Amino acid sequence: MSEEIKSGKEVIDEFFSEILNVEGVDQKTVEKLVELYGENKLTDRNIQNALEELKQAELETKKSKSDG
Amino acid sequence: MAKIKSINISGIRGVKNLLTLDFDKKSVLVYGDNGTGKSSITDALEWFYTDGIQHLISEEIGYTKGKGALRNIFIAKDKKSFVEIEYTDGKLNSKKTINDSLYSNHSNNSSEFNELLTRSQSENLILRYNELINFIIAKKKEKLDKLQDIIGFGEVANLRSMLQKNANRLARNIKSANYDNQKSIQQSKIFQNLGQNAFTDEQLFEGANELIKPLDLSFEIKSRKDINNVLKKIETKEDTVLLEKINFLTKVWEALAEIDGNADNIHKDYKTYHAAFEEFQKNPEKIKNLQLLNLLKEGQSILKNDVIQDDYCPLCQQEMSKVQLIQELNTRIEELEQLAEEKTLLDEQAEGLKQLIRLNIITLDSLLKEKLFKKDGYEKLKREVEGIKKSLNTFLEELKKDLSATLTKPGQIEINKKELLALTEQARHNAKTLKETKSSNVKFRVYTRLFQAATAYKDYLRIEKEQGILTNQQITFELLYTDFIRRQEQALNTFLTRFSQEINDYYTIMNPNEKVEDIKLIPIKKDGDLVGITIEYSFFDETKTPPIAYLSESHINCLGLSFFLASVKAFNKQNEFFVLDDVISSFDRSHRYRFAQLLADKFSDYQVLLLTHEKEFFELVSSEVKNKGWLLKNLSWTKEKGTGIERGLADIKERVTKKFVDRNIDGLGNDIRVYTEKVMKRVAFEIEAKVAYRNNDINEKRMAPELLDAVQSKLSKSSKELKTRADIPKIQRMPMFVGNTTSHDNKFQESIEDLDAMWEDIKKLVNHFYCSDCDKFLSIKFYDRVDKKIRCGCGKLKYEWKN
Repeated sequence: MSEEIKSGKEVIDEFFSEILNVEGVDQKTVEKLVELYGENKLTDRNIQNALEELKQAELETKKSKSDG
Repeated sequence: MAKIKSINISGIRGVKNLLTLDFDKKSVLVYGDNGTGKSSITDALEWFYTDGIQHLISEEIGYTKGKGALRNIFIAKDKKSFVEIEYTDGKLNSKKTINDSLYSNHSNNSSEFNELLTRSQSENLILRYNELINFIIAKKKEKLDKLQDIIGFGEVANLRSMLQKNANRLARNIKSANYDNQKSIQQSKIFQNLGQNAFTDEQLFEGANELIKPLDLSFEIKSRKDINNVLKKIETKEDTVLLEKINFLTKVWEALAEIDGNADNIHKDYKTYHAAFEEFQKNPEKIKNLQLLNLLKEGQSILKNDVIQDDYCPLCQQEMSKVQLIQELNTRIEELEQLAEEKTLLDEQAEGLKQLIRLNIITLDSLLKEKLFKKDGYEKLKREVEGIKKSLNTFLEELKKDLSATLTKPGQIEINKKELLALTEQARHNAKTLKETKSSNVKFRVYTRLFQAATAYKDYLRIEKEQGILTNQQITFELLYTDFIRRQEQALNTFLTRFSQEINDYYTIMNPNEKVEDIKLIPIKKDGDLVGITIEYSFFDETKTPPIAYLSESHINCLGLSFFLASVKAFNKQNEFFVLDDVISSFDRSHRYRFAQLLADKFSDYQVLLLTHEKEFFELVSSEVKNKGWLLKNLSWTKEKGTGIERGLADIKERVTKKFVDRNIDGLGNDIRVYTEKVMKRVAFEIEAKVAYRNNDINEKRMAPELLDAVQSKLSKSSKELKTRADIPKIQRMPMFVGNTTSHDNKFQESIEDLDAMWEDIKKLVNHFYCSDCDKFLSIKFYDRVDKKIRCGCGKLKYEWKN
């Protein structure tokens, strides 16, 4: 029976390999999550920090564009 | 896949000297009376693979993970205890040692062996009797947790919770920031300065061009850079101080307007929290029960960890089945955990409100750092701003209160909206007045308004952008969470379906023709969320759950065993072996027999280490598995050596002889009985003395007298000569063979002299059947048809015999 059953790791690996195909998600956020998972650094604190960095980076981009 | 060739244990638990278990890749059935050290083998293996011994943790200080009780207490301090395992793949061989300071290490540091150890953590290697029913009677959430652990879904559950947590946190942050309020303030500021709103660049440029018309600059603003250029062009240095005051008062206005915009939410949320808090307090039972929950959980842990081993309640001391007690505790805890959930919701309400209030306090703290507050004329304003901060802090103090305290009523604690509004208006009015002091100076008026409108627009865009980013992140996490739940449930359902089938098969093999069938593991959901797993089965064609209500302990144990065996089949990828330590105690004969068949038939590819203290089960399984290549071993224990493998008659005889030399009477009668029993079993076999079939479900202790009877009866028919010489009735009259409990229970207390006399008689008896020259027993296979005599291998012993 074991062949047909997915282990927890398989479920997670599969999720991260197809995560970019989930409709409506923010690509940069998802890419960051995939990166953290790939580096085995997917902790709650790291996610919070990454989200904050993404926010700041996006705000900076907008600022420089609008200040033209 | 790893199979074991041999295990060496020394200085661990009851094992003092070296104990070697040769597996030779085969399964092993081990018999050992209580106290001979079966569990020491199991403990040693558990420590080898997991670096702890779970069931010992409660018996001593937890931080050593049971290792404090690991070393044999009789070994010298400077001697290392160890467990050494040799595998079929020699690269995996390792010796794990532990010294007196509990420092331990493996001799094998290879990546292959480390991989084996890591994987072994999630495989099912050991099942003990006291763990057998844990899953079956566990609470629904524990069942889910346990299963998720076994199938490696612990990480899945963690990721799921992480996704949900982040989606919720982002939603809370968005709510607390009240971006709509912030945007509204900036638009209000734009309107005050341009006389119109500006949601787009075009609207801003349109308003700005209108504003600069009186300056007649012959210039049209088409970008934000143009606005900056205009501002630089019309800026005058002498207006800096005035402008600083205007900007300061505008900041005061903005901050207070922000608090004003949030005040209603704070009041509303506090009112809701207060109502929920009082509702909880209305029922004092709820508060008591919350406290009781901790006690019950502690009791549950005590029972599960076998701190109490007998069937009684540790609180009231009344007799009660331990299984039933755990089951009742589980039910009660499950009821009370609903209360704990209510309390968690209340705490979350408080936390959300605290976050909102803290953000407002941060806004005020930032405002209070403005340097103009230190200058004359703004002391009163500063005090008033600090007053607002104080009222916000009062809310925080209320939110810290526990359920035994009285919460201040919503009307009695508030941000004074009237005063706040007056203060906000005053700041706005003062800023406007300052702007008008130079109203005759058109350039200054245009500069101030354009500067403030441009700043407000920039802030507006930033706030909107930030809101958009956070909302995108929140939506992303919600979508990922939904997607992940779908994947998790799909995988879990596939697993549960297949796993249920396997459990059902094993259970049915052990319980054929019974009305319990169609056993299933069913996920339980609450508000769409997976919260637990229950066991469902059909009983006389009616669906039942939970199992304990209708099943006997023996049947519940069958379910537990089926669950373990199904787990082994599904998840033991690295280790092709498992240990079953005395797991059949509650089984009747038919269950035992079918269990033995199940192991032999369905687990022939695995190495099983099956330990039992029940002689009858040992015999039963022996007959079932010995043709299938299993090895059979007996354990013995002596004070000198600790646990050891019984090598056979020579071993026991040596032990008895040594005890006579040492004049050590402890267990001597039992040793003599065991020796006689083993010899007579061999004699009966060799001369084909028939032992009557008996349903031996009382105990194995009748076997020696029965064997003596059988041999005597055979001699009566076949050899009067040997019957006379052997004088078996003399042996039968010995205390250890009279009745059925003597030597096992040690109720009789012969002197060493009595035992010595008996031992001499038994040796004489044995010498009539066993030849030490050829090391052979008298046997039918050596029957001499010409002389009509039975003899040993060399013919030194020879007696007349009628076939």
